[in-house]
Amino acid sequence: MDLSLTDEQKVRKQEFDDTCKELEKKKPPSFVGFETIYEVDECWEYNLYCAKEFAKKGWLALGWPPEYAGKGDMMDRVLFAEARGYYGIPGVDIFGVQMLAPTLLQAASEEIKREFLPPIARGEVMWCELWSEPNAGSDLASLSTTAIKKGDEYIINGQKTWNTGAHKADWGFGVFKTDPTARKHHNITFLLHDMKTPGITVRPIPYLDGHAPYAEVYFDDVHVPSKNIVGQEHEGWAVVNLLAGFERSGISEIMSMIRGLEQLVTFCNETKRHGQPLAKNPLVRNRLAELACELEAARALAYRVADLQNRNEMSLMDASAGKIFFSELGERCAFLATDILGPYGQVKTSRWAPLDGLWERMFHDHFITTVSMGTNEIQRNIIAWYGLGLLRMR
Amino acid sequence: MDLRFTETQEILKKMARDFLTTECPKTLVRKLEQSEKGYSPELWKKMAELGWMGLIIPEEYEGIGYTFQDLVVLLEEIGKNILPGPLVATITSTFSILEAGSEEQKKELLPKIAQGELILTTALLEGDGVFDASGIAVKATSKGDDFIINGTKLFVEMAHVANYILCVTRTKDGTSPEKGITLFIVDSTTPGISCEVIPTIAADKLCEVRFENVNVPKKNILGKIDEGWPIVEMMLRKGAIAKCAESIGAIQTCVEMTVAYSKERVQYERPIGAFQALQHKMADMWTAMETSRYLVYEAAWMESEGLPCAKEASMTKAYVNEVYKNTSKWAVRLHGAIATSADHDIPLYYRRSLASDIAFGNTDFHREIVAQKIGLV
Repeated sequence: MDLSLTDEQKVRKQEFDDTCKELEKKKPPSFVGFETIYEVDECWEYNLYCAKEFAKKGWLALGWPPEYAGKGDMMDRVLFAEARGYYGIPGVDIFGVQMLAPTLLQAASEEIKREFLPPIARGEVMWCELWSEPNAGSDLASLSTTAIKKGDEYIINGQKTWNTGAHKADWGFGVFKTDPTARKHHNITFLLHDMKTPGITVRPIPYLDGHAPYAEVYFDDVHVPSKNIVGQEHEGWAVVNLLAGFERSGISEIMSMIRGLEQLVTFCNETKRHGQPLAKNPLVRNRLAELACELEAARALAYRVADLQNRNEMSLMDASAGKIFFSELGERCAFLATDILGPYGQVKTSRWAPLDGLWERMFHDHFITTVSMGTNEIQRNIIAWYGLGLLRMR
Repeated sequence: MDLRFTETQEILKKMARDFLTTECPKTLVRKLEQSEKGYSPELWKKMAELGWMGLIIPEEYEGIGYTFQDLVVLLEEIGKNILPGPLVATITSTFSILEAGSEEQKKELLPKIAQGELILTTALLEGDGVFDASGIAVKATSKGDDFIINGTKLFVEMAHVANYILCVTRTKDGTSPEKGITLFIVDSTTPGISCEVIPTIAADKLCEVRFENVNVPKKNILGKIDEGWPIVEMMLRKGAIAKCAESIGAIQTCVEMTVAYSKERVQYERPIGAFQALQHKMADMWTAMETSRYLVYEAAWMESEGLPCAKEASMTKAYVNEVYKNTSKWAVRLHGAIATSADHDIPLYYRRSLASDIAFGNTDFHREIVAQKIGLV
């Protein structure tokens, strides 16, 4: 057991931290939490700016093989994610950089890799994921949007939904039913398509706070070149599982919560209630300390996941456990912080809002991590079925 | 970064597992709970032959000279199996001697500890039941070449069989509770010492130890006079991590036993483990186990490297305390009535979860340390 960093890693960690700290100074005031990039134009501009800055340093291709202009290794990716999480910096496209790129590296043809990886590394093309449908959520393989092959094209018809950032993205990767007669899990193909293709309509969906981080996407005779395939035709389910395996360790989210806790500690030290600092209230102390313990536990597990990833020994169980733990910790953070802030906890970003309204925001944003990327209930099934070897639900 | 065990640790783990499986079955655990001594001298001798008491003692004092991390690996295996006796009490007391003992004290005691010839324990708590220095009222008064100790210590693990008791005393009323604390290495056969076992949930032989005009020579002061509290803090820190190492082993057993039972037990024509109500609870138990495990390894690594880790040690103890209690509780619940019986093994773990929680500081004690360390004024 060794958690130390090499001298080289320490140098790079410093570079990641310094860069993110600089970028933080350029945050627009409307940037409150990562999801705002999809909701407010100036935040999306800021996202693109950060992406370009990271691209210049080669940080969007961390851990890629050198032949695709890769730089550094998986551990660098962890250190970079920590810095971005702590300072709350966007610019690393969740869908393009974190999910699609590693999937392409493992499953795509050389032609597809050469075409799609460089624009991702340059921070030029932003992606969205088109998986869920109105009647295919957790049971994704029951999807019904079709892509029927005709000559050297697929013609897509149907509807996708809950597509985060689809109204901002340049390209999308989706799963579509290509063989309506074949059995479930062997009738799906993984395709890449330009979001500007005629026949695509994107309608933003208001989240529970009225902002729109996600959208629904309609396909009406959308023509996609058949070369834009990842994996085998009709065997897109394997690609879905591969991509889902690039589950984030959650280290960014955890570091963001650690920063949030630090700010909360400062708030409690500086804010008087009943004639003394909130920090002197034994209940506040106990609850904040409990949260700090849980955050450290979350970080320790995230390192475990990263350590496995570094050796290409991904454990589905640990990734699911990490996802459950850090996302539900997000709920507990938000509930506790809004409790401590009292009536101010409900205030949106404004002159009445302590800590820029972060916790009002977090009180509803946490669903984004508990519900998306496989609900936590699905993650529990994964642990139970594939990890603990318990009988699968029929 | 590499979170895998070293080869040495893998060997140590396997040896411990094999040894405990053969030498310490649950029948023995139950027998020892009922026994007066609370440990098996024969087993103790065999453990000494394996080098367990000398594991963290440097080779120059005839120990094995392994690291704190290695100890954690051993304790995790012990926790999985359960091993009643004075091992943790002796090892944590040994830490104090290693840290603060004079060369003479080390030469005198450490080789004997490594050989399994001595049992040690630390007498910290008193009537107040608090783990901070304000609870220390047992007085040691200077008289010629001796100190005279008077007062009562409580919850002293295995004191009734210990050869030496490291007694935390007040030698001066200082400006703060931490000032004026002195540790003494007290021979348990000294006249004036009496000992009584307190009946506790884990039957782990915590004792009331009364000191009535107990003469202890000055040379038996451990560390510096009036400046003993940092030794206690160190002992609590290392003890907390060590206890958590045992706990993560116990938590693993609770999870494994529950999963295995849920695959066998049939109700409604299928194994109860096929029901999602139980599956999700077991997934949560497993998740809690994993978070605990890597938290303990992180703290153990820091302690081994000599990095400051008071915050991480307290975070670990505060967190693992709750996970052990809850996981063993859910192990009973998911088993159902069968695991409420004294004949079942799960209750052995459930009862110990409270003892482990309290040992070296309960959750609230450690949360207050964390509160200070994260910067709350």
